Amino acid sequence: MIVVNSLGKRFGKVTAIDSVSFEARDQCVTALVGPNGAGKSTTLRILAAVLRADSGTAEVNGHEVHTHPDLVRSSIGVLPHNSGVYARLTARENVRYFGRLQGLGGETLEARIESLIDQLEMRLFADRRTKGFSQGQRVKVALARALVHNPRHVILDEPTNGLDVMATRALREIILGLRNAGCCMLFSSHIMQEVENLCDDVIIIAGGQVRFSGSLAELRQAASNDDLEEAFVQIAGLHEAGV
Amino acid sequence: MSAFWVVWSKECIDNLRDRRTLLSSLSLALLGPIFFIGIMSLVLSEAIEDQDDAVRISIAGSANAPELIRYLESHNTEVDAIEALSGGAARNLVKSGEHDLVLVIPADFGMRLRAGQMTTPTLVYDTSELGSAPQRARRVERMLETYGRTIGVLRLQLRGIDPTLIQPLLVDRVDVASNAEQALKLLGMAPYFILLGAFMGGFYLAIDTTAGEREQGSLEPLLSQPVSRTALVLGKIAATCTYTAVSLVLMLVGFYIGLPLVPLDRIGLALDFTLMNFIGIFVLMLPLTWFSAALLTVVASLAKTYKEAQTYLSFLIMVPTLPIMFTQLFGVESTPWMMLIPSLAQSLLMTSLMTNDAVAWTDITLSMVSTALLAVLLTWFAIRLYNKERVLG
Repeated sequence: MIVVNSLGKRFGKVTAIDSVSFEARDQCVTALVGPNGAGKSTTLRILAAVLRADSGTAEVNGHEVHTHPDLVRSSIGVLPHNSGVYARLTARENVRYFGRLQGLGGETLEARIESLIDQLEMRLFADRRTKGFSQGQRVKVALARALVHNPRHVILDEPTNGLDVMATRALREIILGLRNAGCCMLFSSHIMQEVENLCDDVIIIAGGQVRFSGSLAELRQAASNDDLEEAFVQIAGLHEAGV
Repeated sequence: MSAFWVVWSKECIDNLRDRRTLLSSLSLALLGPIFFIGIMSLVLSEAIEDQDDAVRISIAGSANAPELIRYLESHNTEVDAIEALSGGAARNLVKSGEHDLVLVIPADFGMRLRAGQMTTPTLVYDTSELGSAPQRARRVERMLETYGRTIGVLRLQLRGIDPTLIQPLLVDRVDVASNAEQALKLLGMAPYFILLGAFMGGFYLAIDTTAGEREQGSLEPLLSQPVSRTALVLGKIAATCTYTAVSLVLMLVGFYIGLPLVPLDRIGLALDFTLMNFIGIFVLMLPLTWFSAALLTVVASLAKTYKEAQTYLSFLIMVPTLPIMFTQLFGVESTPWMMLIPSLAQSLLMTSLMTNDAVAWTDITLSMVSTALLAVLLTWFAIRLYNKERVLG
C-alpha cells in the first residue's frame, strides 16, 4: 500500500507538484497519468526516496519516506525514467550488483536471479554484456534489477517508453503477473490505451495537482465519455489550457 | 559484503573490462619510465663516449700515414686497417653496412705533407643509420683537426712566423654544469612523471563512476538502493584510488628496474636505487593517491556530462605539476611550508629519496598528514555532493 498525502515539491521558483494526495492499493495496478511536466516523475522520485518533498507525507508499506528512507528503499522496486544499465557488465552481473546493494548474497541471491531470468524471459541474453542490447532487453535488465530483492511495491516510470509492440506486451504480462502475486504496482504513463489494458485504478495529475482518482469505470462516468482519451483530456483540463 | 566493498569491486571490475580506456590511463605509467630512461641514457651516452670508450674506426690506406695512425692509437682509437680504397669504394662499403665509419687516406698523403701542401683524407659515415658512427666521426674529426693544427703550427714556426697570427680568436668555453649535474637535473623530472602517472591512473574511473554513471542513467536506480551515500561515495573514491595506486606502483617498478640501466656511475654519480627507497616513495605517495582520487571524483561529479568531465579533468591533472614546474624553474629551496602543499611536497621528498639525500622525518610526516587531511576534506565534500538532489543533474 502506498499512501501519499498533500505532497508538495518545488525546484527553485518552479512548483513541480502542489499538494498531491492518492492511494495505491495492494494487488492492484495503479496508473499515474498526466501530460508531460505534470509532476509524475517528481512524485515517483519522492516515493523512491531520491527526492525530498517540501511538504506533505508519503508512506510505503507503512514507512514514512522522509523519516525512514532506507526501509522504504528496501520495500520498493524502482524502474526510473530512461534508466540505464552498466554496459560492460552482463545482464546477470547488473542484477547481482543491485542484489548485493540490497544486502542479499550467496545462494539466496543467485537463486533469486535465476528465477527472475526465467520470469522475465532473459535466458538468451543473461550472460551477455549489455552493450548493444535492444531497448526491450535493457528494460528487462532494469526491471530484474528493480525486483531482485522481491519488493511488494513496484514503481515504474513510463516503462514502455521506446518499446516495440512485442516488448510492450511482454512487459504488460509481467506487470499483471506481479499484481496477481499481490504486489502494489504504481506506474506512470501518458498513453491511455496502455492504461486501459492494464489498470485497476487511475490517478490523473495535471499542473502538479490530482484531478481525478478512482477506477476506470468511475473515470468514464465522471467524464461521461466512454472514450478514455477524451475523458482524460477533459478531466486533465487540457481543453482550457489550450494544449 | 558491505555496500562499500560491493561498490568498490563493481567499479574496479567494470573499468577493468574497458581495455581501451584502461590502456590509455595506464599508458603513462607503462611508457613513462621507458621514455624517461631512454632520454636519460641518450643524453649520458654522448658524455660517456667522450670520456671512456675507444673510438673504433676502419682506415683504408693506413700504410700511407703510419705517423697519423700512431697518433690516433695513442689517443684511444682502435684502428681496423683495411685495404686501400678509393673514396667511392669506401662510400659503398658504408652504404652496404659492412663498415660504419671509414677513414680513407690518399696514397700521396705523406708526400704532400712533406711538401708542405694540403692533403684530404676522407671520412665516410651514414647519419641516417642508428648507432654511434656519427658521434665517433665527430671525435675522429676533432683528433684529425688537432693533428693537422699541430703540423700547421710546426710549419709556421719553421718559417719563423708566430702561429698565433693565424688564430686571432681563441674561444674559451666554460660549461659549469658537470655531466653529473645535468643527469641530476634530468633525474629531478622523474617525480613529475610519477605524479602525473598516478593522477592519470584514476582519470577515466573518476569520470565513469560519476558523470558517466549519471549520463547512462544508472545513478538514479543506484541512489534508490538502501545504501548510505557515504558508503557509495567511499566505494567509488576507493576504486579510483586503487587505480591511481596501481598506476603509481607500475611507474615505480618501471623506474626501479630501469634506473640502474642508466650508466650514471660512469659519469661519477654513484646513486644507489635501493628497494627501500622505492618502498619509501610508495608510502610517501599513499596519501596523495587518495587525495588525487577524491579530487578527480569531486570535479567529475560537478560536470554535467562525460565530455564535460573529460575537459575539466584534462586541465585538472596539469594542476599538480604546476608547483613542480615552479620550483624547477626558480630553483626554490624546500622549506617547511612547502611540505603542506600536496604534490609539491611529494615531488621534493621524492627527489631527495631518489638521490639519497638526507630526508627529515618531520618533513615526511608533515607532508603525509597535510595531504591526508586535505584528502579527507575533499572526500567529505564529495559525500555532501551526493547527499544533495542536485547530483541527479
